[in-house]
Amino acid sequence: MNTPLIKTENLTKIYGRGAAEIRALDGVDFEIESGEFVAIIGASGSGKSTLMNMLGGLDRPDLGRMFIAGQDLGQMSNKALAKFRNETIGFVFQQFQLLPKKSARANVMLPLQYRRPRREDEKALAEQSLARVGMSDRIAHKPTELSGGQQQRVAIARALVDAPELLLADEPTGALDSKTSTDVMALLKKLNAQGITIVLITHDADIAAYATRIITMRDGKITADERTEKAP
Amino acid sequence: MRLPGYTTLKSAAGSLLERPLRTLLTMLGIIIGVAAVYAMLSIGEGAKEKILKSIDSVNARTMSIYPDWSQGRASRRRPWRPFSDKDVEQIQTLPGVYAATGDLSRQYPIVSETSDWNANVNGIDAQYLKAKDLEIDQGRPITSVEISRRETVAVIGTSVVRSLFRDQNPVGRRIKINNIPFTIIGTVTSSAGDNWAGRDPDNFVLIPRTTGRARLFGDHRLARNQVRGIVIVGESQQDLGRIESEVDYILRRARGLSADEAPDFRIFNFSANRQSYAKSQKTLSLLLATMGAVSLLVGGVGVMNIMLVSVTERTREIGLRMAVGARRSDILWQFLTEAVVLSIISGLLGLGLGYGVSKISLGTDNIEMLFAPHIAVLSFSSALIIGVVFGFLPAHNASRLNPIDALRHE
Repeated sequence: MNTPLIKTENLTKIYGRGAAEIRALDGVDFEIESGEFVAIIGASGSGKSTLMNMLGGLDRPDLGRMFIAGQDLGQMSNKALAKFRNETIGFVFQQFQLLPKKSARANVMLPLQYRRPRREDEKALAEQSLARVGMSDRIAHKPTELSGGQQQRVAIARALVDAPELLLADEPTGALDSKTSTDVMALLKKLNAQGITIVLITHDADIAAYATRIITMRDGKITADERTEKAP
Repeated sequence: MRLPGYTTLKSAAGSLLERPLRTLLTMLGIIIGVAAVYAMLSIGEGAKEKILKSIDSVNARTMSIYPDWSQGRASRRRPWRPFSDKDVEQIQTLPGVYAATGDLSRQYPIVSETSDWNANVNGIDAQYLKAKDLEIDQGRPITSVEISRRETVAVIGTSVVRSLFRDQNPVGRRIKINNIPFTIIGTVTSSAGDNWAGRDPDNFVLIPRTTGRARLFGDHRLARNQVRGIVIVGESQQDLGRIESEVDYILRRARGLSADEAPDFRIFNFSANRQSYAKSQKTLSLLLATMGAVSLLVGGVGVMNIMLVSVTERTREIGLRMAVGARRSDILWQFLTEAVVLSIISGLLGLGLGYGVSKISLGTDNIEMLFAPHIAVLSFSSALIIGVVFGFLPAHNASRLNPIDALRHE
């Protein structure tokens, strides 16, 4: 068997001190293989967002270790973490986080701006990525001219633009109606079928049902880890 | 190949253009500051140059000596005494003296073949033209040979040319001064600035002093070797003070006056006035430049204020940029570049405005006087420094944001 894409060992994050101490993550161990579609489900305060920030290289564990794509995140400098976020991770946020005054293409090109070395074909890459999410006809539109579902598609295109090894989606349908949610989830499903590893954070069991594996969290601990169907 | 700073520059320009009104208002502070510094310094510098130029002119290096008529009249015991040719000759040999000449003149009717006119007739010696900074327009000057031979030749000023000859070339024509015929050999114009209030500086006729003494000024109360006053031009203004005291010594000795006796002549030296005027002008322009610097500083605070607002407003953008791979230094540079681009553009516009203002207030098209490179560099680089200094704090704040919190910022 290959080395897993993600491997955590006793991952722990503590907020506060003494009596007020809260363990947002409390000894989390799991592995995720390349090509999986994993939903991390839990109520608010279960530690799922903290876990996602850590997987995305936005936060560091207080205890334990974490390897993603062979890199030990706990040991990395801020600079190396920035490079890791740029090259290895693609983020999709609940609030889309698009720059309102920029076109869809310019938004998608944003991660490429921080790539070292820079690529010559940034525009073409952005357009390909927009085509992948079915937004080829909205390249020059600004976010304010797009519907919520379309904005999230642009955000997914941005996450995909530099071929990340892991797509991290934090409540990607949280700001969308149910019809649009279904479309966005179908898109993620399709992308996973194309081989992209996805980790999805949600509190909604219906959304989690799109994944092939569901990890349930409660009080900073994993309470369940089950596969809904066979991994493709 | 992309240059590393190019995208930063482009996105800085882009985000400034996204908020045009705010950008313009922020720039206004710096524009006015730079314009004020530039205009004040260049106006001050220009005024100084004008003064220096006038200080260098013959007119400004001139002093005149005349008998103290008021003294003579008041005491009656000492009627005014003129100066002798020997005094003038002695003064001519003093070091630092550019030219010295005696003043011997009187108003006479001048008659040509067709008309007549009144003009001041000057009996001149060899240094007269030099001391009065006069240049020959047409014909030639009076030579020392003509002076020693007492010839009846004349050089006339342009006002006389206009009045008697209707601006025709008068060289070779004849005039009568007090009924004595003279041949015109040249014409002259006085240098600009020699204009004494109300008096026409070009209404004169120059003749050899010797001729004048022998045939014209005979009825005058001056003796054959005397002049009414002395005009002295120094090599430079700095020499005037020393020349003044040496002249004082020479004249006292010639007149038998002791050092502590009140002199019966007066030396008019105006250079001291000009120097103190130049000094006060300098103080004024320094004051104005300080005011400009203060407004530049206020402009800088404006830049910082707006950049801080901009960082707060764009907190989520900063968080997002960090999430997709921006380093802290990328964020720092992004905001610093915005502040610097803002300052550079404002600085250039300020220079333009300052140039316009100094052009209007100096009332000249003289590029050399209006555009001093060192002033332009000084005021422009102060804008740049203001941009960097006041842009740094907001940019640093932005780069220290925690991406998780920044992304959640409302």
